[in-house]
Amino acid sequence: MPSATEPVTPPQLDELYRTCVHCGLCLQACPTYRELGLEMDSPRGRIRQVMLVETGQLDLGPGVVEHLDRCLACRACETACPSGVRYGEIIESARARIEQQYRRPLPARVARRIGYRIIADFKLLAHAATLLRFYQRSGARRLAQSSGILRLFRLQQTESLAPQIEDDFFFRELGNSFPAEGARRARVAFLAGCIASVAFAELNRATIRVLQKNGVEVWVPEAQGCCGALHVHAGLQAEAQQLARQNIHAMLASDVDAIVTNAAGCGTTLKEYGALLAADPAFAARAGEFAARVRDVNEFLAALGARPPARTLAARVTYQDPCHLAHGQRVRSAPRELLRLIAPNFVEMPRADSCCGSAGIYNIAQNELSMQILDTKMNDVAATQAEILATANVGCMLQLRAGIARRGLNIQVRHVMELLDDACRGA
Amino acid sequence: MIAAEHKLHAAPAEVATPAGESEAAEILRECSRFKTAVVPCGSGLHQHIGLAPQPPFVALKSERLTQVEYYDPGDLTIGVGAGMTLRELDALVKPHGQWLPVLAFPDRASGGNATIGGLLATAMHGPLKHAFGGVREFCIGVRFVTGDGMRAKGGGRVVKNVAGYDLMKLLIGSYGTLGVITSASFKLFPRPRQTATFVCRFPGLQNAMAVRDALMASPLAPLALEIISPGAAALLHGHADDAGWRVLLRASGSDQQLARYRDHLGNAASAELTGEDEAAAWSLLENFESALPPDAVVVAVSCPLSDVAQVLRSAERAALERKISWAGIGRACTGSLLIAFLGGSRPEQSISAVHALRASAPPSANAVIRRCPDSLKAGIALWQLREGELEIMRTFKNALDPAWILNRGRYFV
Amino acid sequence: MRLSAIRAKLTAICGSRAVLHSKEDLLLYEYDAGLARARPDFVVFPSTTEQVAAVVALASESGLPVVARGAGTGLSGGAIPRSGGIVLAFARMNRILEVDVANQRAVVQPGVVNLELSEHVRPLGFYFAPDPSSQKACTIGGNVAENSGGPHTLASGVTVNHVTGLEVVLADGRIVELGGKSSEAAGYDLTGFFVGSEGTLGITTKIMVKLTRVPEHVSTLLAIYNDVRDAGNTVVEITSAGITPAALEMMDGWTLRAVEAAAHAGYPQDAAAVLLIELEGLRETVDEQVLAVEAACARQNAREVRIAQNDAERQRLWYGRKNAFAAIGRISPSYYTQDGVIPRTRIPQTLEHIQQVAARYSLTIGNVFHAGDGNLHPLILFDDRSPAETEKSIQAGKEILQYCISVGGSLTGEHGVGIEKRDLMPMLFSDEELQVMRRLREALNPRGTLNPEKLIPGARTCMEIRTPQFPGVVS
Repeated sequence: MPSATEPVTPPQLDELYRTCVHCGLCLQACPTYRELGLEMDSPRGRIRQVMLVETGQLDLGPGVVEHLDRCLACRACETACPSGVRYGEIIESARARIEQQYRRPLPARVARRIGYRIIADFKLLAHAATLLRFYQRSGARRLAQSSGILRLFRLQQTESLAPQIEDDFFFRELGNSFPAEGARRARVAFLAGCIASVAFAELNRATIRVLQKNGVEVWVPEAQGCCGALHVHAGLQAEAQQLARQNIHAMLASDVDAIVTNAAGCGTTLKEYGALLAADPAFAARAGEFAARVRDVNEFLAALGARPPARTLAARVTYQDPCHLAHGQRVRSAPRELLRLIAPNFVEMPRADSCCGSAGIYNIAQNELSMQILDTKMNDVAATQAEILATANVGCMLQLRAGIARRGLNIQVRHVMELLDDACRGA
Repeated sequence: MIAAEHKLHAAPAEVATPAGESEAAEILRECSRFKTAVVPCGSGLHQHIGLAPQPPFVALKSERLTQVEYYDPGDLTIGVGAGMTLRELDALVKPHGQWLPVLAFPDRASGGNATIGGLLATAMHGPLKHAFGGVREFCIGVRFVTGDGMRAKGGGRVVKNVAGYDLMKLLIGSYGTLGVITSASFKLFPRPRQTATFVCRFPGLQNAMAVRDALMASPLAPLALEIISPGAAALLHGHADDAGWRVLLRASGSDQQLARYRDHLGNAASAELTGEDEAAAWSLLENFESALPPDAVVVAVSCPLSDVAQVLRSAERAALERKISWAGIGRACTGSLLIAFLGGSRPEQSISAVHALRASAPPSANAVIRRCPDSLKAGIALWQLREGELEIMRTFKNALDPAWILNRGRYFV
Repeated sequence: MRLSAIRAKLTAICGSRAVLHSKEDLLLYEYDAGLARARPDFVVFPSTTEQVAAVVALASESGLPVVARGAGTGLSGGAIPRSGGIVLAFARMNRILEVDVANQRAVVQPGVVNLELSEHVRPLGFYFAPDPSSQKACTIGGNVAENSGGPHTLASGVTVNHVTGLEVVLADGRIVELGGKSSEAAGYDLTGFFVGSEGTLGITTKIMVKLTRVPEHVSTLLAIYNDVRDAGNTVVEITSAGITPAALEMMDGWTLRAVEAAAHAGYPQDAAAVLLIELEGLRETVDEQVLAVEAACARQNAREVRIAQNDAERQRLWYGRKNAFAAIGRISPSYYTQDGVIPRTRIPQTLEHIQQVAARYSLTIGNVFHAGDGNLHPLILFDDRSPAETEKSIQAGKEILQYCISVGGSLTGEHGVGIEKRDLMPMLFSDEELQVMRRLREALNPRGTLNPEKLIPGARTCMEIRTPQFPGVVS
């Protein structure tokens, strides 16, 4: 494993936050502002806090970190912002600064480091996941509770949030290629994803089958790793840059039409590799090329022209926009187009593009607020009277399932690709 | 057709006719100093409303304040002196295809004699309130003199303006108790080029209300929709051959637009009026109050839309129980009703009917007595004011008329 | 009373989670969307009218200012606590209390977001007509305080035309109900007078509003001009033809390009001006008016008239307009939004004057405004890091307003006076006229604790009352 180095360069924060004209149009787009009603927990307020810290008017103390930590980084504010403020970059830079300059209380520090180390390293992850599976199957709580990943998933408080670890990890597919069915229309490199590989291996397989059915050859590059999204969001800049270099090295091949992922969060980060490594002369050009080829699988299939599947679903289906797809990548219509192909009973959900509160490890780090946001979301979900809640990101799926369980609703949460796979297979 | 002006209830000790704002200010300063009561007066149309100020008092007349301050038809705004009448203003703007939508036929109705000052002071309105709202919605500026002679201004000449307090709102409907209005500015509206009136007759109130409800649920936007009680119809038309309720709906627009109303109403409309017939029908309605016999007791009821039917039924029952006749008209879609109890030689029966109406009407309804024999005024609350609001009104009265000389008694004893 | 004692009392009234007092929190309540800044001593989040009343009474007793705050989207500094004191933040009083379809009314708490009310009642076929450009964030309480307008107020009127009743907390903590569900009430029109009083007469805790029926048909046109004067003349031409569009908006060429870069609304890049014209009502009415408006545009040399063919196109045309102000943020680090009003026949000459002012001060000034009612919004670009440039832009703004007034206009159409324009009020009102307004304010706000230093210049303010008690806390 390559070791993490210092981040290449901190972004020019003052140029970023000065674009905010504090008009306040972002406030209602922000799930934490909607829940808490506090200016400090609004995008405008967070930008203000960053500015105050940067200009020395405010210390980087717990009073500020608390509010910056509470940001979901869902980037709904970027969609709402008419001035084009790059909020995502501001919050990431601010978090990078917190990591460098702010000393969190010791237990929090240890837990964070262990968690991020594990997902950065697939071997460690497989090991930790095996432990977790053992925990889930055997009830060997004491053993499991001492493992770092347990803290990561905060099982002691929110067991339902933890992914069900599958029997058959996806890691064994690394390095394999899957041929297109019929005439080949494209060849893609597929990002396996870290959590997805242990908890959503079946989803990955479904995604590959859907791609194959649509005439796409799928290659799962062997040397790939975690996309680095969680590290970027948490301000672990150097680690994120190192992961980006690893993935570019592993996945950027000349005969690949697109680099495809079924995880919206990963997709956003992959698309930002260009910016992440802009200051690294050795990687900048390739990072830009890599980023330009990244496609969310929904985006890729809709643009390619998905083949109408064998059958349609009778159920009433609605869709939750993953923040990283709608706000991070501005992909809104593609998943809906795909769903309409298979679900004539598709209904829109109010505030479908408002975050469910999952937000990476947010539901663990900010459990109480995350649950509050989730419960609000469930009001909108219930109002649609849908039987299937579709989305396009594994993190959202876990959170939404937890919300449905908390509310006692009878709704299935499925990835768009799983639904397409069902329809293709006539299941 | 035009009724005689109502006179002041008592002879003024002095009549002052200021030529402008500064003269008015001087007069009021002096009156304030000597605590001499002042009754602001336009054409005298509304002097019967409220408790009459006791003599001796000075009548401050606006008859010389008739100037046009500005009128640019391209802006659809006009500023005029408080003494100009609605009829005069209408004659000014009509050639430009514009109107001030208070009265549709100010040249026919006695209300056309009302001055601009009187219009504002009494928040006067007619059937056009349905489409345009009250004068508060289109008065964009006002100049007035406070009780102690300060020259004050609210708003201006432009249609959108939030500079300073909205003194137009405060003065409108204040019945000359806060200041003497000297001039005002208005937003004008394009005059409709073609109109038609649909007359609907119903055996019962319920049917009439059903037509109103269907119209409110539709996208149609008529100029006016007036409900007329059987008694009012008899009174207006001078005979009682038709005992039913009526709804008059006036719409404007092209043939195609009018066709939408025709289609919507279908069989409900029994006649369609245009031209002279239409003008006659509406000017009768606009003239309703002055056409009532002098001993009528008239109340203006304001209520939420869903209470209109209940208020009308309460009025009907109150009259029936006292074996007196009654007449009611009003804007069924804004909840503004005029109800007259016609007790004839037994005015106390009419007053008792008002008490009964107030008691049985929904609590959200508000009934102001507009006309009532002077001898009976002391025995009944003329305005239904809530204590909290009344307290604020007194506070403002103190602020603008510290000597309490303006229309003393009209609102406050 | 010392601040610590006041803090204890505030906590007792609203609970500790509803009172902010630390520096880092208070710093986040020293701004709104405008230029003014001032830090409160406390930010309090009441959840009931009774809590508001208790806080206001406490403030009155201790001579501490009280300033209400909705979403902080105002542009005239209405929510800025100029002399410190208590900011009453209404974020937690944000419930729609009642929707009464039969009476076409809704009752809301002041913290309800403007657009959320419209979205809430749209399935029933209604909406709330006032639509400020900040409607997706601004609160109805703020709309009431400022008497907010918006693009669609040309035909449907501003906030005051849509409010029939209020529950208000007076300066001494009394709770009073004004108006009601009826369209009129006996006595003075206190509801109408309170709307737009910028929090200087009382604090609104409940609002009864009219709901407006969603029109049957809407048509949106974009008329494109090579000469800004032709666009101005079209405005008069349309209204003179007896047509009152639902909205009639104008953007000059410079603003167009700025907005297009940010919003991609499909506006032409090379035009001198565009008019965005919206017609609504009966299908037949709208169809006829579209033809008449097209003809009016053609007579005034419009280069092209585009008609939105569907709702998506319509939304796109509006998207650029609604986001125009803030889109300027992409170009300039700071800008100053003016809000002048002129008689609509004076649009061409006023725009010309604005460009002369821009040239004289070497500033860039864009124009995006409600042309139908002559409500201008010159956007003056400057760099707030340079005090000289900031001063210059404020001076230029003042000159523009002076011109607006000289042609019969006003110094604010919808943003309010607040702190921003308080000292410009003498341009419009004589001493005597201001004195009358002051008397009315003092009648209900005798200790000057309600939003001091706003709206009317040169009055006794609560600064004077409290300065000896709290030296050094006023920023």
